[in-house]
Amino acid sequence: MKELREHAKELLEKGEVSAVIGYSQVSEKRTKPIIVTDPQDTDQLVFNEYCLNNLAVYLTKARIKVSCRTKDKTLKLAVTAKPCDVHSVVALIQENQIHREDIHIISFNCHGVAKDFGFEFSGDNIASKCINCETHKPLYFDKIFGEEKETPKASDDAMERIQEIERMSHQERFEFFKNEFDKCIKCYACRAVCPLCYCQRCITDKTIPRWIESSSHMRGNFAWNIVRAFHLSGRCTGCGECERACPVDIPLSLLNRRMAIKAKKSFSYVSGRSLETPTLVGSFNEKDNDELFM
Amino acid sequence: MNNIYMPHLAEIKEIIDESPDTRTFRLKFKDGDTADRFEFKAGQFAEYSAFGDGESTFCIASSPTRKEFIECSFKVFGKVTQALHRLNRGDTIGIRGPYGNWFPLDELKGKNLLFIAGGIGIAPVRCVIDNVLDLRNDFKDLTIISGARSVSDIIYKQEINVWKDRTDIKTIITVDPGGETPSWDGEVGFVPAILEKTAPSPENTAVILCGPPVMIKLTIPILTNLGFKDEEIFTTLENRMKCGLGKCGRCNIGNVYVCKDGPVFTYAQIKRMPQEF
Amino acid sequence: MDEKIILKDDLLRICGDVIDKGHILLCPVMNEYSIVKDFSRIKLDASALPAGTSFKCYVFPKTEPVLYYKRSKSDVQLIDVNIDRKNIVILGAKPCDANSLNIMKHLFNWDYSDEFFNLREKNFIIIGLMCSHYDEYCFCTSVDSSPVSEKGSDIFLIPVDENKFAMRIITEKGSEFISPYAEYLKTGDENISKQITENVKLPKVAFDSNEVYEWLGENFESPKWEGIGNLCLSCAKCAFVCPVCHCFDIVDEDYSYTEGRRMKNWDGCQFGNFTMHASGHNPRDIQSKRYRQRVNHKFRYYVDKFGEILCTGCGRCSRGCPVSIDIKEIVSNCKD
Repeated sequence: MKELREHAKELLEKGEVSAVIGYSQVSEKRTKPIIVTDPQDTDQLVFNEYCLNNLAVYLTKARIKVSCRTKDKTLKLAVTAKPCDVHSVVALIQENQIHREDIHIISFNCHGVAKDFGFEFSGDNIASKCINCETHKPLYFDKIFGEEKETPKASDDAMERIQEIERMSHQERFEFFKNEFDKCIKCYACRAVCPLCYCQRCITDKTIPRWIESSSHMRGNFAWNIVRAFHLSGRCTGCGECERACPVDIPLSLLNRRMAIKAKKSFSYVSGRSLETPTLVGSFNEKDNDELFM
Repeated sequence: MNNIYMPHLAEIKEIIDESPDTRTFRLKFKDGDTADRFEFKAGQFAEYSAFGDGESTFCIASSPTRKEFIECSFKVFGKVTQALHRLNRGDTIGIRGPYGNWFPLDELKGKNLLFIAGGIGIAPVRCVIDNVLDLRNDFKDLTIISGARSVSDIIYKQEINVWKDRTDIKTIITVDPGGETPSWDGEVGFVPAILEKTAPSPENTAVILCGPPVMIKLTIPILTNLGFKDEEIFTTLENRMKCGLGKCGRCNIGNVYVCKDGPVFTYAQIKRMPQEF
Repeated sequence: MDEKIILKDDLLRICGDVIDKGHILLCPVMNEYSIVKDFSRIKLDASALPAGTSFKCYVFPKTEPVLYYKRSKSDVQLIDVNIDRKNIVILGAKPCDANSLNIMKHLFNWDYSDEFFNLREKNFIIIGLMCSHYDEYCFCTSVDSSPVSEKGSDIFLIPVDENKFAMRIITEKGSEFISPYAEYLKTGDENISKQITENVKLPKVAFDSNEVYEWLGENFESPKWEGIGNLCLSCAKCAFVCPVCHCFDIVDEDYSYTEGRRMKNWDGCQFGNFTMHASGHNPRDIQSKRYRQRVNHKFRYYVDKFGEILCTGCGRCSRGCPVSIDIKEIVSNCKD
C-alpha cells in the first residue's frame, strides 16, 4: 500500500500524470473510486480484495480526458487496475478509444475479490469471475505491486448455471430470460458501469427512429438487454460490473459469458488480451467460421 | 377516471407554412363542448400530441379574444415536431392544456407596451399583440421590434402586414445581417442593435420579450441601459417538459417549476433564480 | 392510541384471509416487496435491512399506459385506462418505506390530481413494522423519521417476543381493516411496547436537515459538485430504488400501424438527456449539475414547495450505488 501511494505521489508531483484514478477505503469491506489530482491526497489510495470497481470506465469520460490537456502537452492518466480490469483497458485501446501512451497502468498481483461489498473475502464469497480466472498477473502494466497469493478455492456457480441453461430447451430458455428481464427497471446502471459502453449517445436514447422502446415492459426490456448483449459480443472482457450494479439482480454475466465462450470457440478470440490483435468485430479473415450467419 | 394525461382531440383546419421549417396549425376542437369551455390567457401553453410519436410543448399563439380557432406554431426540431409536420389538413391531433401562468395584461392596462421578439419567440408575443389590439383602448403606445435570421425565416408575415397597416402601432421588422434580400425594405441588424437604435422611452412602459437565449442575454443589458426596470421586463422561459402539470420533474429551475410557476416571468424573478438555464 | 396484542400465528391467519378475499398481499421477501400467495414465506423480521427496492412500483409503476389510441386515415379515437382497484395490503413495511406515499402525495396532488397515483394509494393498507437494525447507510433519524416512526403506517407492529406483536392502530383505514378480526386481538399494554421502542438503537443523527437546506441555498456553485460529478456515472439506479423519487417520462408506443398507447415511465434526473431540449441545448449538461439537482430537489426544492424532505433516509441509493457515492456523507460533510 505504501509503495502504491508513494508511486502515485511521485507521478503527480513530477507532473507525469494529471490524475490517478484509484480506490479509497469507505469502510472495512467497501471501497469507492477516487480521482486523485493533489499529491497530498494519495494517502487515501488503497488496494485490497474489496476493490470491486472496474476503473477503466473512467478512462473514456470526456470531463476526465479534458482535464489531461494542458496548454502545451497532454498529460497521462494513471489508472489503478486489477489484472482483469487491464483487459478492459486493452479493449479500449484496441477499439481506439484511448491510446496506450496516454495511460499509465498501475496494476497488482491479484488473487480475487469479494463478490460484493460487505462480504468477507473467502472461498464462499469470491466473485464468480475470479473462480476460473487465469490472469493473476496483469498482461500489460507500467508498475506492479502486491505479492502473489493463492486464490481461494470455490465452485463456479455461474459456469454451472450457463451449462444448465445450455441444457434447457428453446422454450425453457426463453421463459428463464423472460422472467429475468421482466425485473429490469431500465436504470441503465449496467450501461453506466461498463467500460465498453462508451458510446456518446446510446442507441436506446435515440428517438428518431426509436429503435428500443424506453418502457420497461417485457418487449422493451428484451430489446434493451438483448441488444446490449449483442453489442458486447466479442467485446465484453467479463469484469462482471453490470451484474454487480444491477439493482434487480438480473444475471447479466450469464449472457455475456455465453457470448464470450461463443467468440472463443468460433474465432479463438478473447477480448482485451492483446494489443497487437485487431478486434473481433473490426477484423475479417476469409477463414472465419461462418456458422453464425443466418 | 379524471385522467389528467388525456388530451382533447382537435382537427387541423388549416396549415400555414410560415417559413421553410416553421408551420402554424389552425385547430378546432372536435367536441363542441370542449371548444366552449377551453379558456386561456395570453402566454399560456399546451401539450400537443402527434399520436404515435408523443407530445410537444408550445405556447398558444392565437389570442384568447379570437375564439374561432386555436393556433400553434412550431419549428421542426425533434421527433414530435417532425411528426406534426407530416400531418395534413383534416388530420387529428391532441391538445392538453392550457397550462402555466400568463402575461398580466390586466395590470399592464394604461401602459405603453414594447414587444421584442426573435425567431420563433414571436409566437407567444403575437398572442399578446393580438390580444392587446382587440383591447386597443386599454393601452397606450405599442411598439413591436421583431427579428428573424433571414427574410424567408420571418414568420407571421400575414399578421405583420396587418400590424404594419395600422397606424396605432409602430412595427419594426429586422433580419440578421446577411439575411436580407434585394427587395427587403425593413431593418437589417440584430435585435439588440435595432433596439438600441430605436431607443424607446422606458416611461410608463412594460416590455414583453421572447426569443432565443442568446438574444435575451444581449437585449436585457440594453433595456437596462435605456432605463427599463427589471420588474417591467416580462419574458417566457422554455424548458423541456413532459407533463406540463408540475409532476414529471424536468422543467424546474431551482424550486421554480416552469410549467406551473411560469412560463411567464419578470426579469427580476429570473435574476433571483439559480443560474441553470 | 389504540393498542392491541396479536399472536404471530393469528396475524398470519389474517394474511391468509386477505389473500382468500382476493386482495394483494405485499411483503418484503428476498430483497424486494413481492406479492405473497403462500403466507408461510412471510418472515416479519424487524432486523432486516430495507429491501433492495421499495413498494413504490405498486403505486407508481415503472411503466404504465395512460391512454390508448386508435388511428384511422385522419381520425383518432382515444380510450381511457382502467386502473386495477384491488386492495393492496403491505405487511411489514419498514418505517422508512411506510412514509413514502405521504411524501409523494403532495407532488401528485399539487393543483392537478394524478388519479393513477391516488386511486392506487387509496387502496393501500400499510402495516408497518418497527425496525431494529441499521447499517452504515441508514439515516432516517436525520430526516425527521426514526426506526419506530408510525408515520405513513395504518397499523404499526412492534415485536414483543418471537410469537407476539404489539399492534397500534393508527388510522381510520387501519381500524376499518382490522375490525373484522377483532377476535384475534387482545388488549395490549402501552407501557410494554413503549419500553421496547425506547430501547431501539437509533442510527446516529448524521446531519441537521435545516442546516443542509441553508447550505444548499448558499452553495449552488460549489466545487463539491464538480468532484461528485466526475465520479458519478449517470445511471438512475439511485432514483429507481428510491422510495420517493417520482420523475417520469411520457412516450408513445405504436403496436401496430393503427393502434398504440401512451406510456408513463420512470425517468431519472441523472440521465444526460433528461433535460435536453429538442434544439440540443441542455440546462443540466454535465453530471455535476445533475447531481446538484438531485440533492437540491431532495433537501431544498421539495421543502420549499411542500414542506417536506424528499427523502426517507432508507439509504438505498448509497447502499446500491455502483461507485459508492453516499448521499448521507455528502450532505453531512457539506460544510467541510
